[in-house]
Amino acid sequence: MSIVLELDHLSVALKRGRGKPIAVLDDINLTVNAGEMTALVGESGSGKTIASLGVIRLLPRSAEIAGQVLLAGTDLTRLTESEMRRVRGRDIGMVFQNPLSALNPTTRVGNQIAEVYRLHTGETDRAARARALDLLGEVGIPDPADRLDDYPHQFSGGMRQRVMIAMALACSPKLLIADEPTTGLDLLVARQILALLSRLRHEHRMGVLFITHDLSIVEEHADQVHVLYAGKSVEWGTSRSFFAQPRHPYSQALLAAVPRLGQRRLASIPGNLPDPETRPPGCRFAPRCAFREPACEIDYPAPDAVGGTVFACRRAREISPAAMLDAVLEQPAAPPVVSHEAVLEVTLLGVDYERTATSFLQGVLGRKDKMRALDDISFTLNQGECLGIVGQSGSGKSTLGRAVLQMIPYHGHVILKGEAFDAMSRGQRKRARRQIQVVFQDPKESMNPRMRIGDIVAEPLKFTGLRGQRARWAAAAALLDRVGLSDQMMNLFPGSVSGGQAQRIAIARALATNPGIIVLDEPTSSLDVSTQALLLNLLKDLARQDGLSYMLISHDIAAVSYMADRIAVLNGGQMVEYGTAQDVLARPRNAYTRELIAASPHFRSHHLGEPSETLTYHLSTAQPSAVQTATAQTKEFNP
Amino acid sequence: MLRMITQRLATATLSLVILVTIVFFMTHATPGGPAFSILGQKATPAAVNALNQRLGLTAPLWLQYAIWWWHLLQGKLGYSYLLNRPVTQLIGDYMMNTLALYIGAILLALVLSIGLGLVQGVTYGRWPARLIGALQLSLYALPTFFVGTMFILYFGVKWPILPTGGISNLRIEHPGLLDYAHHLVLPILTVGLLGVAALSRYFGTSVHEELGKDYVRTALAKGLTFRAVLFRHVLRNALRPLVTILGLSFPGIFAGSVLVETVFNYPGLGYLLWRSALSQDYPVISAIVLLIGVLTVIGNLLADLVNGLLDPRERYE
Ligand code: SF4
Repeated sequence: MSIVLELDHLSVALKRGRGKPIAVLDDINLTVNAGEMTALVGESGSGKTIASLGVIRLLPRSAEIAGQVLLAGTDLTRLTESEMRRVRGRDIGMVFQNPLSALNPTTRVGNQIAEVYRLHTGETDRAARARALDLLGEVGIPDPADRLDDYPHQFSGGMRQRVMIAMALACSPKLLIADEPTTGLDLLVARQILALLSRLRHEHRMGVLFITHDLSIVEEHADQVHVLYAGKSVEWGTSRSFFAQPRHPYSQALLAAVPRLGQRRLASIPGNLPDPETRPPGCRFAPRCAFREPACEIDYPAPDAVGGTVFACRRAREISPAAMLDAVLEQPAAPPVVSHEAVLEVTLLGVDYERTATSFLQGVLGRKDKMRALDDISFTLNQGECLGIVGQSGSGKSTLGRAVLQMIPYHGHVILKGEAFDAMSRGQRKRARRQIQVVFQDPKESMNPRMRIGDIVAEPLKFTGLRGQRARWAAAAALLDRVGLSDQMMNLFPGSVSGGQAQRIAIARALATNPGIIVLDEPTSSLDVSTQALLLNLLKDLARQDGLSYMLISHDIAAVSYMADRIAVLNGGQMVEYGTAQDVLARPRNAYTRELIAASPHFRSHHLGEPSETLTYHLSTAQPSAVQTATAQTKEFNP
Repeated sequence: MLRMITQRLATATLSLVILVTIVFFMTHATPGGPAFSILGQKATPAAVNALNQRLGLTAPLWLQYAIWWWHLLQGKLGYSYLLNRPVTQLIGDYMMNTLALYIGAILLALVLSIGLGLVQGVTYGRWPARLIGALQLSLYALPTFFVGTMFILYFGVKWPILPTGGISNLRIEHPGLLDYAHHLVLPILTVGLLGVAALSRYFGTSVHEELGKDYVRTALAKGLTFRAVLFRHVLRNALRPLVTILGLSFPGIFAGSVLVETVFNYPGLGYLLWRSALSQDYPVISAIVLLIGVLTVIGNLLADLVNGLLDPRERYE
């Protein structure tokens, strides 16, 4: 097996401002073999992106690199800048997260692909264009000849990522670095991208360094796994042994924090990632580790190996994996008090939206086309229940949320505690609307960056009749406390809090008017796995305490299955499936639902060391469609 | 693209109709009516009446409005009260001069702004950018007439190498193109430099912003040199906001023209506007206001179209 990439004691230090350089990546050793995929896994702040940029040497000028980056034996850290330029794009292809911004928005995709080919081969424009056409076909873009002269915004998210991959492949590189290529994509699409990368690496005998925060997505494709925490490797080894039994407390928690179908307990890791400036001297995970002993905090633990993985934890040998897991798993929640009183009923709801007409004549006349975004949606939300609305982007799920929130016009009825919105007077409607609050995917966008956190949370309290600045401030502190934030945060501005904290603040604000219902629109999709687990658990607790009802909108059916009592599946504006979570997951009637279920990570007993009878969802009835069969996780289906 | 153009044209037409209407009511609602302005405050009622009859100002307002449109569409803008010449003829000469001045100034400003802005954006946060920033601020703070006067003082009086006023040398029978150009140097420099202050700062920021975007990293990861990334990828994207700002700043430039043209005694629209305003020559004033409006609308339309060419996303929605 020939080694394509080898990181040999790679360390990177970055300067922030005038201070002295801070080590963001510390002594990493990692290999990628030809034709294989190595997954570099870590949450934000782990240094995984620094590692990838370090390999192609696109770090800020102030970065100090130590150690070696060997690409097929050549140490890249010793190359001159112009030699390095010949390596970029030719020997190493890069695929970045979020292809919409990673591609130049004003250049045709064909030209963007041809550019790199021409640059390194010196071929003619015509040859480069032909190459671009071949590549688009190879990465699975339908009708490539018609799409060559399109611009990035004319492609869907998944297709755009394929374009990115085509560009990276242009010069048949030895190594492909994919930095979070599937983040932000719908599950089915993400699976397809991964399958594509797998196919390509076999066909081209190309090494792939796959960087991700989501362990579940690489499980079936990676050959090796390397877990980073706060700039240090905590565990690495072959994929098979790692997924069979991770040993480091952090990797265990990370794996158990991914919601899977059929899983009843989610791991949450308390605390936050340490800042690079204040990293503990010993084991970096120590402040958040349940098994820490005084010695952990003094020296960095020496790597130890058991059964195919190497891990940096001094206690992993003595404590059984099951015991370790138990410490991080949330206790099974007592079921919330569900009354069978309907708080929200939606009947025959439909939403149309207008689009400027496509024909020229109609455009001049100002005629609009009517498009149906949602059709015939009916459901009931009982008090204390969580209704999961599942669908891919474009399915209309967010539109449904906005209709329920009375933010957009709709037809049909939305009935809040027996009273239909359309039958209310203006004032009643205004008051009724406060009983439904919302939390969006990107909470910071709905916060005024110049307002203090305290004021942001206190603002809606005005509507509750709470008088006096001071009283409201105190109430805001109490709300923050409920979502697990300290009142010291109140004087900060939104810019200085993390994504997870911002989402908690958004929840605190939503709770301010004491609503009965909260619409959660993709509340965790931009969060790290462990942060997501904490947030989902928090939401569960809040529901239990207050009898809150949720409408949880998400593309992730596994996360929904962890939360929801009932599930509705939307596809193309239609509700294709609706029923109790149990029913929908165990006996999906619709083909599309089956596809979604097949593509989602499934719970396996060894993930949590729990007996496997908890696995009640089985897929004997599920018939993944032809497209999906290739990517479905067949190996997980045996009980 | 076609759809975008028709939409923009429709908006532009609407803006013009509104503008014409506003101008009509503004001039016809002057205290005492236009006749007073022409004859002076001490005019006898009989004289006013006679003039009103002659100018058709006794007709009902809606009829006057309709006639105004009718004339406008035929290109008739009336007679200057003061000079007793058709306004169209009067304005024609002045407009050419103004266009020469402003096209020259805008080109100068663009070239300088793109150069300075590129340097500023690339070296953002370091001394070259800081230096340019300071320069922009001081340029911005200088009043137009001051810059113009200083130019006259140095290049016209102290080192008399450039003419300080007018559009051509009055002593020459048939002034050639070169003579015009010679006279244009100082006014173009004055207007252009003031444009540079704002435009280059805007462009510098936009270059810096674009450089921080993900596609730049992608382009570098392809193995392109920084220079290639800058000119092949960044420049075009950074130009879009500059074009928009340029389209929007036309009225501002024309407002400034009054000052610059007065300082240089330059026979352009600004100069004409200033003189007509002093003597309340309403037909001329309203014609100039209309013209500036038309040019502004055209400027914005052009900016939109250029942006449509630069950015494919603009073409579709
Ligand atoms: S070394 Fe100690 S603190 Fe670190 S993970 Fe192991 S037990 Fe926890």
